Amino acid sequence: MILSQARDAFFRWDWVFDHLDDVWDKVREHLVLTGIALGVGLAIAMVLSVIALRYRRSYGPITWVTGALYAIPSLALFAFLVPITGFSVLTAEIGLVSYTLLILIRNIVAGIDGVDPAITEAALGMGYGRRRLFFEIELPLALPVIIAGLRIAAVTTIGLVTVTALIGQGGVGFFILRGLNRFFSTEIVLGTALSVLLAVTVDVALLLLERAVTPWARRRAAA
Amino acid sequence: MADTAMISLAGVTKVFPGSDAPAVDRLTLDVAEGEVIVLVGPSGCGKTTTLKMINRLIEPTGGRITVAGDDVTAVPAHELRRRIGYVIQQIGLFPHRTIGDNIATVPRLLGWDKRRIAARVAELIELVDLEDGMQHRYPAELSGGQRQRVGVARALAADPPVMLMDEPFGAVDPIVRARLQDEFLGLQARLHKTIVLVTHDIDEAIKMGDRVAILNVGGVLEQYDAPFRILAEPANPFVEDFLGSDRGIKRLSLISIRDVELEPGPVVAATASVAEARAAMDRYGVAWVGIGGDDGSLGWVWGDDLAAEGTLADMEPRPFRIRLSGDDSLREALDTVISTHAKVAPVFDGDRFLGVLTAEGISREIVQ
Repeated sequence: MILSQARDAFFRWDWVFDHLDDVWDKVREHLVLTGIALGVGLAIAMVLSVIALRYRRSYGPITWVTGALYAIPSLALFAFLVPITGFSVLTAEIGLVSYTLLILIRNIVAGIDGVDPAITEAALGMGYGRRRLFFEIELPLALPVIIAGLRIAAVTTIGLVTVTALIGQGGVGFFILRGLNRFFSTEIVLGTALSVLLAVTVDVALLLLERAVTPWARRRAAA
Repeated sequence: MADTAMISLAGVTKVFPGSDAPAVDRLTLDVAEGEVIVLVGPSGCGKTTTLKMINRLIEPTGGRITVAGDDVTAVPAHELRRRIGYVIQQIGLFPHRTIGDNIATVPRLLGWDKRRIAARVAELIELVDLEDGMQHRYPAELSGGQRQRVGVARALAADPPVMLMDEPFGAVDPIVRARLQDEFLGLQARLHKTIVLVTHDIDEAIKMGDRVAILNVGGVLEQYDAPFRILAEPANPFVEDFLGSDRGIKRLSLISIRDVELEPGPVVAATASVAEARAAMDRYGVAWVGIGGDDGSLGWVWGDDLAAEGTLADMEPRPFRIRLSGDDSLREALDTVISTHAKVAPVFDGDRFLGVLTAEGISREIVQ
Protein backbone atom coordinates (compact mmCIF):
# COMPACT_ATOMS: atom_id res chain seq x y z
CA MET A 1 0.00 0.00 0.00
CA ILE A 2 2.62 2.49 1.08
CA LEU A 3 4.97 1.45 -1.63
CA SER A 4 2.30 1.72 -4.27
CA GLN A 5 1.49 5.23 -3.12
CA ALA A 6 5.09 6.19 -3.44
CA ARG A 7 5.23 4.92 -6.98
CA ASP A 8 2.10 6.74 -8.03
CA ALA A 9 3.35 10.26 -8.47
CA PHE A 10 6.10 12.50 -7.24
CA PHE A 11 3.66 14.94 -5.66
CA ARG A 12 0.02 14.17 -4.98
CA TRP A 13 -2.15 17.25 -4.44
CA ASP A 14 -5.13 15.10 -3.47
CA TRP A 15 -3.18 13.73 -0.50
CA VAL A 16 -2.38 17.26 0.62
CA PHE A 17 -6.01 18.33 0.37
CA ASP A 18 -7.08 15.25 2.34
CA HIS A 19 -4.66 16.19 5.13
CA LEU A 20 -5.13 19.97 5.29
CA ASP A 21 -5.96 19.89 9.02
CA ASP A 22 -2.75 18.01 9.69
CA VAL A 23 -0.76 20.45 7.56
CA TRP A 24 -2.21 23.44 9.36
CA ASP A 25 -1.44 21.89 12.78
CA LYS A 26 2.19 21.28 11.86
CA VAL A 27 2.65 24.75 10.37
CA ARG A 28 1.31 26.22 13.57
CA GLU A 29 3.58 24.01 15.66
CA HIS A 30 6.50 25.08 13.49
CA LEU A 31 5.73 28.76 14.02
CA VAL A 32 5.28 28.28 17.77
CA LEU A 33 8.61 26.45 18.11
CA THR A 34 10.32 29.17 16.03
CA GLY A 35 8.61 31.98 17.91
CA ILE A 36 9.60 30.65 21.33
CA ALA A 37 13.17 30.05 20.17
CA LEU A 38 13.50 33.59 18.81
CA GLY A 39 11.74 35.22 21.76
CA VAL A 40 13.73 33.40 24.42
CA GLY A 41 16.90 33.68 22.34
CA LEU A 42 16.44 37.43 21.94
CA ALA A 43 15.80 37.89 25.66
CA ILE A 44 18.92 35.92 26.66
CA ALA A 45 20.99 37.58 23.90
CA MET A 46 19.86 41.03 25.07
CA VAL A 47 20.93 40.34 28.63
CA LEU A 48 24.28 38.87 27.55
CA SER A 49 24.82 41.79 25.14
CA VAL A 50 24.19 44.34 27.86
CA ILE A 51 26.74 42.53 30.01
CA ALA A 52 29.20 42.42 27.11
CA LEU A 53 28.71 46.14 26.39
CA ARG A 54 29.02 47.09 30.01
CA TYR A 55 31.98 44.86 30.83
CA ARG A 56 33.97 44.71 27.64
CA ARG A 57 36.19 41.93 28.82
CA SER A 58 33.21 39.57 29.02
CA TYR A 59 32.49 39.90 25.29
CA GLY A 60 35.25 37.44 24.37
CA PRO A 61 34.09 34.63 26.68
CA ILE A 62 30.43 35.23 25.76
CA THR A 63 31.08 34.85 22.04
CA TRP A 64 33.37 31.92 22.72
CA VAL A 65 30.68 29.99 24.62
CA THR A 66 27.83 30.87 22.26
CA GLY A 67 30.15 30.14 19.34
CA ALA A 68 30.86 26.69 20.78
CA LEU A 69 27.11 26.06 21.15
CA TYR A 70 26.64 27.19 17.55
CA ALA A 71 29.29 24.74 16.37
CA ILE A 72 27.73 21.63 17.98
CA PRO A 73 25.95 19.54 15.33
CA SER A 74 22.22 19.76 16.05
CA LEU A 75 21.75 16.00 15.84
CA ALA A 76 24.41 15.45 18.49
CA LEU A 77 23.00 18.15 20.73
CA PHE A 78 19.54 16.60 20.71
CA ALA A 79 21.04 13.14 21.29
CA PHE A 80 22.80 14.47 24.39
CA LEU A 81 19.70 16.23 25.70
CA VAL A 82 17.11 13.50 25.26
CA PRO A 83 18.33 11.40 28.25
CA ILE A 84 18.00 14.51 30.43
CA THR A 85 14.95 16.37 29.16
CA GLY A 86 13.25 13.67 27.13
CA PHE A 87 11.37 13.93 23.83
CA SER A 88 9.96 17.29 24.80
CA VAL A 89 9.44 20.83 23.60
CA LEU A 90 12.02 21.81 26.20
CA THR A 91 14.67 19.64 24.53
CA ALA A 92 13.84 21.17 21.16
CA GLU A 93 13.92 24.71 22.49
CA ILE A 94 17.22 24.32 24.35
CA GLY A 95 18.77 23.41 21.03
CA LEU A 96 16.95 26.01 18.97
CA VAL A 97 17.63 28.85 21.41
CA SER A 98 21.31 27.90 21.63
CA TYR A 99 21.70 28.33 17.90
CA THR A 100 20.22 31.86 17.86
CA LEU A 101 22.47 33.31 20.56
CA LEU A 102 25.70 33.88 18.66
CA ILE A 103 24.01 35.60 15.73
CA LEU A 104 21.80 37.77 17.94
CA ILE A 105 24.52 38.81 20.40
CA ARG A 106 26.93 39.70 17.59
CA ASN A 107 24.33 41.88 15.91
CA ILE A 108 23.09 43.57 19.07
CA VAL A 109 26.64 44.45 20.16
CA ALA A 110 27.63 45.54 16.64
CA GLY A 111 24.43 47.58 16.35
CA ILE A 112 24.97 49.43 19.60
CA ASP A 113 28.69 49.89 18.89
CA GLY A 114 27.75 51.28 15.48
CA VAL A 115 25.83 54.20 16.95
CA ASP A 116 27.69 57.41 16.09
CA PRO A 117 29.72 58.43 19.18
CA ALA A 118 28.75 62.06 18.54
CA ILE A 119 25.13 61.07 19.16
CA THR A 120 25.87 59.39 22.48
CA GLU A 121 28.11 62.28 23.50
CA ALA A 122 25.37 64.79 22.72
CA ALA A 123 22.85 62.67 24.64
CA LEU A 124 25.08 62.36 27.70
CA GLY A 125 25.99 66.05 27.48
CA MET A 126 22.32 66.98 27.62
CA GLY A 127 21.72 64.90 30.72
CA TYR A 128 20.71 61.41 29.60
CA GLY A 129 21.33 58.71 32.19
CA ARG A 130 22.86 55.38 31.12
CA ARG A 131 19.58 53.47 31.13
CA ARG A 132 17.57 56.02 29.15
CA LEU A 133 20.47 56.42 26.74
CA PHE A 134 20.35 52.68 26.07
CA PHE A 135 16.60 52.33 25.64
CA GLU A 136 15.76 55.65 24.00
CA ILE A 137 18.80 56.33 21.84
CA GLU A 138 21.15 53.38 21.37
CA LEU A 139 18.63 50.57 21.03
CA PRO A 140 16.35 52.34 18.50
CA LEU A 141 19.36 53.33 16.41
CA ALA A 142 20.72 49.78 16.53
CA LEU A 143 17.39 48.28 15.41
CA PRO A 144 18.26 47.88 11.72
CA VAL A 145 21.36 45.81 12.62
CA ILE A 146 19.53 43.89 15.38
CA ILE A 147 16.64 43.03 13.07
CA ALA A 148 19.10 41.97 10.39
CA GLY A 149 20.46 39.49 12.95
CA LEU A 150 16.96 38.43 13.89
CA ARG A 151 16.22 37.65 10.23
CA ILE A 152 19.25 35.39 9.93
CA ALA A 153 18.40 33.71 13.24
CA ALA A 154 14.77 33.23 12.14
CA VAL A 155 15.68 31.62 8.82
CA THR A 156 18.23 29.38 10.54
CA THR A 157 15.77 28.38 13.26
CA ILE A 158 12.96 27.57 10.83
CA GLY A 159 15.27 25.18 9.00
CA LEU A 160 16.49 23.70 12.25
CA VAL A 161 12.99 23.07 13.61
CA THR A 162 12.54 20.33 11.01
CA VAL A 163 15.42 18.44 12.63
CA THR A 164 13.54 18.35 15.94
CA ALA A 165 11.10 15.96 14.24
CA LEU A 166 13.60 13.34 15.37
CA ILE A 167 12.67 14.02 18.99
CA GLY A 168 8.95 14.08 18.37
CA GLN A 169 8.59 17.80 17.66
CA GLY A 170 9.52 19.27 14.33
CA GLY A 171 6.54 21.19 12.88
CA VAL A 172 6.50 20.55 9.17
CA GLY A 173 9.64 18.44 9.64
CA PHE A 174 7.20 15.76 10.75
CA PHE A 175 6.15 15.28 7.10
CA ILE A 176 9.74 15.06 5.93
CA LEU A 177 10.62 12.42 8.52
CA ARG A 178 7.46 10.35 7.92
CA GLY A 179 7.89 10.68 4.17
CA LEU A 180 11.41 9.33 4.49
CA ASN A 181 10.24 6.42 6.61
CA ARG A 182 7.44 5.56 4.19
CA PHE A 183 9.29 6.38 0.96
CA PHE A 184 6.47 8.81 0.23
CA SER A 185 7.82 11.69 -1.80
CA THR A 186 4.73 13.88 -1.48
CA GLU A 187 5.30 14.29 2.24
CA ILE A 188 9.01 14.99 1.83
CA VAL A 189 8.35 17.63 -0.80
CA LEU A 190 5.48 19.11 1.20
CA GLY A 191 7.55 19.40 4.39
CA THR A 192 10.48 20.89 2.55
CA ALA A 193 8.36 23.37 0.59
CA LEU A 194 6.46 24.47 3.69
CA SER A 195 9.69 24.98 5.62
CA VAL A 196 11.16 27.11 2.83
CA LEU A 197 7.92 29.01 2.44
CA LEU A 198 7.79 29.72 6.17
CA ALA A 199 11.40 30.93 6.15
CA VAL A 200 10.80 33.30 3.25
CA THR A 201 7.54 34.59 4.74
CA VAL A 202 9.04 35.26 8.16
CA ASP A 203 12.08 36.88 6.57
CA VAL A 204 9.91 39.24 4.55
CA ALA A 205 7.71 39.94 7.58
CA LEU A 206 10.76 40.94 9.63
CA LEU A 207 12.02 43.12 6.80
CA LEU A 208 8.67 44.92 6.76
CA LEU A 209 8.85 45.21 10.56
CA GLU A 210 12.26 46.85 10.25
CA ARG A 211 10.90 49.35 7.71
CA ALA A 212 7.98 50.10 10.00
CA VAL A 213 10.07 50.76 13.10
CA THR A 214 12.80 52.79 11.36
CA PRO A 215 10.89 55.42 9.38
CA TRP A 216 13.78 57.88 9.73
CA ALA A 217 16.18 55.65 7.81
CA ARG A 218 14.43 56.06 4.47
CA ARG A 219 14.09 59.83 4.45
CA ARG A 220 16.95 61.70 2.93
CA ALA A 221 17.55 65.30 2.02
CA ALA A 222 16.24 66.12 -1.42
CA ALA A 223 19.22 68.37 -2.08
CA MET B 1 35.43 89.00 39.85
CA ALA B 2 34.80 85.92 41.94
CA ASP B 3 31.45 87.27 43.15
CA THR B 4 30.03 87.81 39.70
CA ALA B 5 31.61 84.80 38.00
CA MET B 6 29.01 82.52 36.43
CA ILE B 7 31.59 79.85 35.77
CA SER B 8 34.74 79.58 37.81
CA LEU B 9 37.67 77.20 37.38
CA ALA B 10 40.15 77.14 40.25
CA GLY B 11 43.38 75.20 39.82
CA VAL B 12 41.69 72.64 37.60
CA THR B 13 43.91 69.77 36.54
CA LYS B 14 43.29 66.72 34.41
CA VAL B 15 45.73 63.87 34.09
CA PHE B 16 44.37 61.08 31.93
CA PRO B 17 45.03 57.54 33.13
CA GLY B 18 48.24 56.17 31.67
CA SER B 19 49.65 59.60 30.97
CA ASP B 20 52.38 61.39 32.89
CA ALA B 21 51.81 64.86 31.52
CA PRO B 22 48.64 66.66 32.50
CA ALA B 23 46.17 67.47 29.70
CA VAL B 24 45.12 70.53 31.70
CA ASP B 25 47.45 71.95 34.31
CA ARG B 26 46.17 74.01 37.26
CA LEU B 27 43.89 76.13 35.11
CA THR B 28 42.25 79.08 36.83
CA LEU B 29 39.75 81.11 34.89
CA ASP B 30 36.50 83.00 35.55
CA VAL B 31 33.65 83.65 33.18
CA ALA B 32 31.32 86.52 34.01
CA GLU B 33 27.58 86.24 33.59
CA GLY B 34 26.45 87.00 30.05
CA GLU B 35 29.97 86.78 28.70
CA VAL B 36 31.21 84.79 25.71
CA ILE B 37 34.66 83.39 26.31
CA VAL B 38 36.57 81.40 23.75
CA LEU B 39 39.11 78.71 24.55
CA VAL B 40 41.56 78.58 21.69
CA GLY B 41 44.88 76.90 21.12
CA PRO B 42 46.73 74.26 19.13
CA SER B 43 45.66 70.61 19.31
CA GLY B 44 46.69 69.04 22.59
CA CYS B 45 46.14 72.28 24.50
CA GLY B 46 43.30 70.74 26.50
CA LYS B 47 40.61 73.15 25.35
CA THR B 48 37.98 70.48 24.73
CA THR B 49 39.01 68.65 27.90
CA THR B 50 38.52 71.88 29.83
CA LEU B 51 35.08 72.37 28.31
CA LYS B 52 34.00 68.83 29.10
CA MET B 53 35.13 69.16 32.70
CA ILE B 54 32.61 71.96 33.17
CA ASN B 55 29.68 69.59 32.45
CA ARG B 56 31.59 66.63 33.87
CA LEU B 57 31.75 64.58 30.69
CA ILE B 58 35.33 64.43 31.90
CA GLU B 59 35.99 64.43 35.63
CA PRO B 60 38.90 66.62 36.76
CA THR B 61 41.69 65.03 38.76
CA GLY B 62 42.22 68.20 40.75
CA GLY B 63 40.85 71.67 41.42
CA ARG B 64 37.34 72.98 41.69
CA ILE B 65 34.74 74.12 39.17
CA THR B 66 31.65 76.11 40.10
CA VAL B 67 28.69 77.10 37.96
CA ALA B 68 26.49 79.88 39.36
CA GLY B 69 28.35 79.50 42.63
CA ASP B 70 27.63 75.79 43.05
CA ASP B 71 30.33 73.15 42.90
CA VAL B 72 29.58 71.02 39.84
CA THR B 73 30.14 67.87 41.86
CA ALA B 74 27.36 68.85 44.31
CA VAL B 75 24.64 67.37 42.10
CA PRO B 76 24.52 64.17 39.99
CA ALA B 77 26.18 64.73 36.61
CA HIS B 78 22.99 64.20 34.58
CA GLU B 79 21.15 66.85 36.59
CA LEU B 80 24.00 69.31 36.16
CA ARG B 81 24.06 68.70 32.41
CA ARG B 82 20.35 69.43 31.99
CA ARG B 83 21.07 72.95 33.24
CA ILE B 84 23.92 73.52 30.80
CA GLY B 85 23.39 73.84 27.05
CA TYR B 86 25.78 71.70 25.02
CA VAL B 87 26.62 71.99 21.32
CA ILE B 88 29.27 69.86 19.62
CA GLN B 89 30.90 70.09 16.22
CA GLN B 90 29.21 67.00 14.80
CA ILE B 91 25.99 68.35 16.35
CA GLY B 92 24.88 64.81 17.21
CA LEU B 93 21.20 65.19 16.37
CA PHE B 94 19.22 62.03 17.07
CA PRO B 95 18.54 60.62 13.59
CA HIS B 96 15.50 58.62 14.72
CA ARG B 97 13.73 61.64 16.11
CA THR B 98 12.08 64.49 14.30
CA ILE B 99 13.53 67.98 14.57
CA GLY B 100 10.77 68.91 17.01
CA ASP B 101 11.55 65.91 19.22
CA ASN B 102 15.27 66.64 19.02
CA ILE B 103 14.71 70.19 20.23
CA ALA B 104 12.42 68.86 22.97
CA THR B 105 15.16 66.59 24.39
CA VAL B 106 16.05 68.42 27.59
CA PRO B 107 12.50 69.63 28.40
CA ARG B 108 11.43 65.97 28.15
CA LEU B 109 14.23 64.88 30.46
CA LEU B 110 13.09 67.57 32.86
CA GLY B 111 9.53 66.29 32.67
CA TRP B 112 7.80 69.34 31.21
CA ASP B 113 4.20 68.80 30.17
CA LYS B 114 3.35 68.33 26.48
CA ARG B 115 1.77 71.71 25.90
CA ARG B 116 4.68 73.59 27.39
CA ILE B 117 7.14 71.56 25.29
CA ALA B 118 5.21 72.15 22.08
CA ALA B 119 5.07 75.89 22.74
CA ARG B 120 8.78 76.02 23.49
CA VAL B 121 9.69 74.04 20.35
CA ALA B 122 7.64 76.42 18.18
CA GLU B 123 9.31 79.39 19.84
CA LEU B 124 12.82 77.98 19.25
CA ILE B 125 12.13 77.06 15.62
CA GLU B 126 11.36 80.72 15.08
CA LEU B 127 14.24 81.95 17.22
CA VAL B 128 16.91 80.14 15.22
CA ASP B 129 15.22 81.05 11.96
CA LEU B 130 14.10 77.61 10.80
CA GLU B 131 11.09 77.22 8.52
CA ASP B 132 7.77 76.49 10.10
CA GLY B 133 6.91 72.80 9.60
CA MET B 134 10.56 71.83 9.92
CA GLN B 135 9.82 70.19 13.28
CA HIS B 136 8.18 67.23 11.55
CA ARG B 137 11.21 66.40 9.40
CA TYR B 138 14.09 64.08 10.29
CA PRO B 139 17.72 65.30 10.65
CA ALA B 140 18.79 63.43 7.49
CA GLU B 141 16.49 65.71 5.48
CA LEU B 142 18.26 68.91 6.56
CA SER B 143 21.30 70.78 5.23
CA GLY B 144 24.41 71.22 7.36
CA GLY B 145 23.52 74.79 8.24
CA GLN B 146 19.99 73.84 9.24
CA ARG B 147 21.27 71.01 11.42
CA GLN B 148 23.63 73.39 13.17
CA ARG B 149 20.70 75.71 13.93
CA VAL B 150 18.71 72.77 15.29
CA GLY B 151 21.70 71.88 17.47
CA VAL B 152 21.70 75.39 18.93
CA ALA B 153 17.92 75.34 19.39
CA ARG B 154 18.18 72.00 21.18
CA ALA B 155 20.85 73.37 23.52
CA LEU B 156 18.71 76.42 24.27
CA ALA B 157 15.51 74.44 24.83
CA ALA B 158 15.34 74.54 28.61
CA ASP B 159 16.73 78.09 28.64
CA PRO B 160 19.97 77.20 30.44
CA PRO B 161 21.97 80.16 31.74
CA VAL B 162 25.21 78.53 30.58
CA MET B 163 26.12 77.12 27.18
CA LEU B 164 29.14 75.04 26.25
CA MET B 165 30.01 74.93 22.57
CA ASP B 166 32.72 72.67 21.14
CA GLU B 167 33.70 73.87 17.65
CA PRO B 168 30.04 74.64 16.98
CA PHE B 169 30.65 76.02 13.49
CA GLY B 170 33.31 73.50 12.47
CA ALA B 171 31.15 71.21 10.35
CA VAL B 172 29.89 73.73 7.79
CA ASP B 173 31.56 75.42 4.84
CA PRO B 174 33.20 78.85 5.35
CA ILE B 175 30.36 80.91 3.84
CA VAL B 176 27.68 79.22 5.91
CA ARG B 177 30.00 79.41 8.93
CA ALA B 178 30.34 83.21 8.70
CA ARG B 179 26.57 83.55 8.44
CA LEU B 180 25.92 81.22 11.38
CA GLN B 181 28.50 83.10 13.47
CA ASP B 182 26.73 86.39 12.74
CA GLU B 183 23.35 84.87 13.51
CA PHE B 184 24.67 83.47 16.74
CA LEU B 185 26.11 86.81 17.83
CA GLY B 186 22.74 88.38 17.07
CA LEU B 187 21.03 85.70 19.15
CA GLN B 188 23.48 86.17 22.02
CA ALA B 189 22.89 89.93 22.01
CA ARG B 190 19.26 89.15 22.87
CA LEU B 191 19.74 86.14 25.16
CA HIS B 192 22.83 87.11 27.21
CA LYS B 193 23.87 83.55 27.94
CA THR B 194 27.15 82.76 29.62
CA ILE B 195 29.03 80.90 26.92
CA VAL B 196 32.25 78.95 26.76
CA LEU B 197 33.19 78.23 23.16
CA VAL B 198 36.05 76.06 21.98
CA THR B 199 37.73 76.57 18.62
CA HIS B 200 41.10 76.06 16.97
CA ASP B 201 40.45 79.04 14.71
CA ILE B 202 41.94 82.27 16.07
CA ASP B 203 39.82 84.38 13.71
CA GLU B 204 36.67 82.76 15.07
CA ALA B 205 37.94 83.34 18.60
CA ILE B 206 38.52 87.04 17.93
CA LYS B 207 35.15 87.42 16.26
CA MET B 208 33.05 85.55 18.81
CA GLY B 209 34.75 86.15 22.14
CA ASP B 210 34.21 88.92 24.65
CA ARG B 211 37.36 87.43 26.08
CA VAL B 212 39.71 84.88 24.61
CA ALA B 213 41.75 82.35 26.58
CA ILE B 214 44.79 81.22 24.67
CA LEU B 215 45.94 77.79 25.85
CA ASN B 216 49.25 76.12 25.20
CA VAL B 217 49.93 72.38 24.96
CA GLY B 218 49.32 70.75 28.34
CA GLY B 219 46.50 73.12 29.21
CA VAL B 220 48.64 76.09 30.18
CA LEU B 221 46.84 79.42 30.07
CA GLU B 222 49.08 81.85 28.19
CA GLN B 223 46.78 84.85 28.03
CA TYR B 224 43.17 85.60 28.91
CA ASP B 225 41.86 88.95 27.84
CA ALA B 226 39.64 90.86 25.43
CA PRO B 227 40.58 90.08 21.80
CA PHE B 228 41.57 93.67 21.18
CA ARG B 229 43.99 93.69 24.06
CA ILE B 230 45.47 90.32 23.14
CA LEU B 231 46.11 91.57 19.63
CA ALA B 232 47.53 94.86 20.90
CA GLU B 233 49.70 93.35 23.61
CA PRO B 234 50.41 89.66 23.21
CA ALA B 235 51.65 88.37 26.56
CA ASN B 236 54.54 86.34 25.19
CA PRO B 237 56.13 84.95 22.02
CA PHE B 238 53.79 81.93 22.01
CA VAL B 239 50.71 84.13 21.85
CA GLU B 240 52.37 86.38 19.30
CA ASP B 241 53.15 83.38 17.15
CA PHE B 242 49.68 81.89 17.58
CA LEU B 243 48.02 85.14 16.53
CA GLY B 244 49.93 85.06 13.25
CA SER B 245 51.78 87.73 11.33
CA ASP B 246 48.67 89.75 10.44
CA ARG B 247 47.82 90.91 13.94
CA GLY B 248 47.35 94.50 12.77
CA ILE B 249 44.79 93.48 10.16
CA LYS B 250 43.01 91.27 12.72
CA ARG B 251 42.77 94.23 15.08
CA LEU B 252 41.19 96.30 12.33
CA SER B 253 38.33 93.83 12.14
CA LEU B 254 37.52 94.59 15.78
CA ILE B 255 37.17 98.36 15.31
CA SER B 256 33.94 99.81 13.95
CA ILE B 257 34.13 102.80 11.66
CA ARG B 258 31.68 104.62 13.93
CA ASP B 259 34.27 104.58 16.70
CA VAL B 260 36.93 106.48 14.81
CA GLU B 261 37.23 110.05 13.66
CA LEU B 262 36.62 110.64 9.98
CA GLU B 263 38.35 113.16 7.75
CA PRO B 264 36.46 115.58 5.51
CA GLY B 265 38.03 114.06 2.38
CA PRO B 266 38.61 115.62 -1.07
CA VAL B 267 35.21 117.21 -1.00
CA VAL B 268 33.98 120.67 -1.91
CA ALA B 269 30.59 122.35 -2.13
CA ALA B 270 28.78 122.57 -5.47
CA THR B 271 29.38 126.31 -5.44
CA ALA B 272 33.18 125.95 -5.08
CA SER B 273 35.65 127.05 -7.73
CA VAL B 274 37.72 124.69 -9.85
CA ALA B 275 40.83 125.92 -8.05
CA GLU B 276 39.37 124.91 -4.69
CA ALA B 277 38.49 121.48 -6.11
CA ARG B 278 42.05 120.95 -7.38
CA ALA B 279 43.44 121.94 -3.99
CA ALA B 280 41.18 119.40 -2.28
CA MET B 281 42.32 116.67 -4.69
CA ASP B 282 45.96 117.51 -4.11
CA ARG B 283 45.53 117.33 -0.33
CA TYR B 284 44.48 113.68 -0.60
CA GLY B 285 46.47 112.76 -3.68
CA VAL B 286 43.41 111.44 -5.52
CA ALA B 287 42.22 111.84 -9.12
CA TRP B 288 38.62 112.73 -8.25
CA VAL B 289 36.76 115.29 -6.26
CA GLY B 290 33.62 114.90 -4.24
CA ILE B 291 30.85 117.44 -4.67
CA GLY B 292 28.58 117.81 -1.67
CA GLY B 293 24.87 118.55 -2.11
CA ASP B 294 22.77 120.79 0.14
CA ASP B 295 21.02 117.70 1.54
CA GLY B 296 24.28 116.16 2.74
CA SER B 297 24.55 113.77 -0.22
CA LEU B 298 27.76 113.36 -2.16
CA GLY B 299 28.64 112.72 -5.79
CA TRP B 300 31.97 112.79 -7.53
CA VAL B 301 33.70 113.76 -10.79
CA TRP B 302 37.09 112.93 -12.32
CA GLY B 303 39.70 115.66 -11.94
CA ASP B 304 40.42 115.37 -15.69
CA ASP B 305 36.89 116.46 -16.46
CA LEU B 306 37.21 119.75 -14.59
CA ALA B 307 37.30 122.92 -16.67
CA ALA B 308 40.49 124.98 -16.60
CA GLU B 309 38.87 127.56 -14.40
CA GLY B 310 35.49 128.78 -13.19
CA THR B 311 33.15 126.91 -10.87
CA LEU B 312 31.76 123.39 -10.60
CA ALA B 313 28.20 124.60 -11.20
CA ASP B 314 27.58 122.70 -14.45
CA MET B 315 29.32 119.46 -13.48
CA GLU B 316 27.11 116.39 -13.17
CA PRO B 317 28.42 114.39 -10.21
CA ARG B 318 28.19 110.59 -10.28
CA PRO B 319 26.89 108.61 -7.33
CA PHE B 320 29.28 106.54 -5.20
CA ARG B 321 29.09 102.84 -5.70
CA ILE B 322 31.34 102.09 -2.75
CA ARG B 323 29.65 103.05 0.48
CA LEU B 324 30.81 102.07 3.91
CA SER B 325 28.69 102.59 6.99
CA GLY B 326 29.43 103.04 10.66
CA ASP B 327 28.73 99.31 11.20
CA ASP B 328 31.57 98.24 8.93
CA SER B 329 34.98 97.55 10.39
CA LEU B 330 38.26 99.27 9.69
CA ARG B 331 39.32 96.06 7.97
CA GLU B 332 36.65 96.64 5.34
CA ALA B 333 37.65 100.30 5.12
CA LEU B 334 41.26 99.31 4.49
CA ASP B 335 40.14 96.87 1.83
CA THR B 336 38.31 99.71 0.08
CA VAL B 337 41.32 102.00 0.33
CA ILE B 338 43.76 99.57 -1.20
CA SER B 339 41.55 97.88 -3.77
CA THR B 340 39.65 100.77 -5.44
CA HIS B 341 40.55 103.83 -7.45
CA ALA B 342 38.97 106.02 -4.80
CA LYS B 343 42.11 105.56 -2.62
CA VAL B 344 40.08 106.64 0.40
CA ALA B 345 37.05 104.98 1.96
CA PRO B 346 33.93 107.16 1.84
CA VAL B 347 31.54 106.60 4.76
CA PHE B 348 27.81 107.24 4.54
CA ASP B 349 24.87 107.17 6.87
CA GLY B 350 22.17 106.20 4.40
CA ASP B 351 22.57 108.92 1.72
CA ARG B 352 24.29 111.35 4.01
CA PHE B 353 28.04 111.63 3.55
CA LEU B 354 29.92 111.50 6.85
CA GLY B 355 33.57 111.66 5.83
CA VAL B 356 36.38 109.48 4.60
CA LEU B 357 39.00 107.14 6.03
CA THR B 358 42.51 107.18 4.61
CA ALA B 359 45.25 104.56 4.85
CA GLU B 360 47.15 106.85 7.20
CA GLY B 361 44.08 107.38 9.37
CA ILE B 362 43.40 103.63 9.60
CA SER B 363 47.02 102.88 10.44
CA ARG B 364 46.97 105.55 13.15
CA GLU B 365 44.16 103.67 14.94
CA ILE B 366 46.31 100.62 15.59
CA VAL B 367 49.74 102.18 15.86
CA GLN B 368 48.80 104.79 18.46
